[in-house]
Amino acid sequence: MHDQAVEAVKFIDLTWMNVSFLFIVGFIGGLVSGFIGSGGAFVLTPGMMSLGVPAAVAVASNMCHKFPKALVGAYKRYKYGQVDLKLGLVMAVSASVGVQIGIKIQEYILNHWGEAGSNLYVSVSFVVVLVVVGGYVFYDAWKITKSGAEDQISALALKLQKINLPPMIHFKTADLTISLWFTIPVGLLTGLLAATIAVGGFVGVPGMIYVVGATGLISSASELVIAFVMGLGGSVKWAIHGMVDIRLTLIILAGSLLGVQLGAIGTTLVKEHMIKVVMGTIMLIVALSRALAMPRYLTQLGFMSTDASTLTLLDTVSFVTMCLALAVGAVIILGSMLKAKRAEYAATIGAETYEHV
Amino acid sequence: MSAKTDNSRKKLVIQTMLLGAITAVLYAAVFSHASTVVELFARGGYYAVFPIATVFVFSFAHGAFASNLWSALGIEAVTKQAVKRPAVSAPRPTKRERPRLRMSV
Repeated sequence: MHDQAVEAVKFIDLTWMNVSFLFIVGFIGGLVSGFIGSGGAFVLTPGMMSLGVPAAVAVASNMCHKFPKALVGAYKRYKYGQVDLKLGLVMAVSASVGVQIGIKIQEYILNHWGEAGSNLYVSVSFVVVLVVVGGYVFYDAWKITKSGAEDQISALALKLQKINLPPMIHFKTADLTISLWFTIPVGLLTGLLAATIAVGGFVGVPGMIYVVGATGLISSASELVIAFVMGLGGSVKWAIHGMVDIRLTLIILAGSLLGVQLGAIGTTLVKEHMIKVVMGTIMLIVALSRALAMPRYLTQLGFMSTDASTLTLLDTVSFVTMCLALAVGAVIILGSMLKAKRAEYAATIGAETYEHV
Repeated sequence: MSAKTDNSRKKLVIQTMLLGAITAVLYAAVFSHASTVVELFARGGYYAVFPIATVFVFSFAHGAFASNLWSALGIEAVTKQAVKRPAVSAPRPTKRERPRLRMSV
């Protein structure tokens, strides 16, 4: 099996352009991951494929960079007191089950409707989940920004926390007690989404915020623990099949380890609702990107007819929009960090002036 | 106080340079033998331990370097407690006795 896999693998030649692209996307992806707990993977896999890397190698190499990045990000944010290790591990267990369910669903769709059907399923999942969840996250962030109020625990989470359904678990850092049974669906959906669109955090983080009742800061930090556990498991599986191109992994890692630490530092500088702002914005732009990719699959399945040139154009616009999602997220993070630094500097100057008066 | 800060800053810069050198050596070791490494790491089976162990080693070395680099550049985390406010002295308790109601009959 391994020999067959190795024979099928095609490792690309590296050029300075390829290396620069992977390093920059790795850095920006790392920055976003360090800040919101996930992100980057959705651009890196199609990005590597556009460079000529086979899909399986792209997924494997991307996953192999994801878990050490999550490890470094989680460690950094743990030092800031933002990681609830128990919450992350409990969620990771159910998320691992969710991944297996997601793989089974993918296999079923692939067997019945072929590759175009599978791609359409992935795109529809992307659009539906990202519009609904991302739309709500963005609306919540907009509401907090407009009112200037403090981030509050959702009404749903408060209701669920009051239901005494053993076993009840207390999460010390998140400072909440909730039944294990309410964390399981969030974990399962996180895994399911990770197996489908490779970014489980787009459900995991909002799930921990709005269903479990943890803050945005704790949720995004604990998501890195989930990403580490799931990423390690997935990487071992891919490595056993000999699909990891270590060169690609290490180049991405070079950028992402710089980015993830900067993102983690950013969470301590900016206002907490900025995590929701960044996450909601990225999710909505990614949803748009995947909607643009859908006509190709609908045409392949015979549901609509579109000429080849239009489909090529839509594919290009879709990929550029996806890159744009990551870039916009990075700009918001860096912009808000800069703003916070300026305010801190102004406060320091003010304090010094005050002392001298 | 200032000398102490200068010393710790110098120490940080030296540490960053050292970790940067270790990271560079690790990257050079892999990329100077890229074709052999890629072929070995893609054999699958028990050879899976190589890519997994490699990314762990790189994440420790490069992760520590990246952390020190941001600190050396002055980009560091702040906590709410760390933001220093001008110390305003608390109002002194009044020495004057509280007025008491006295009634002379």
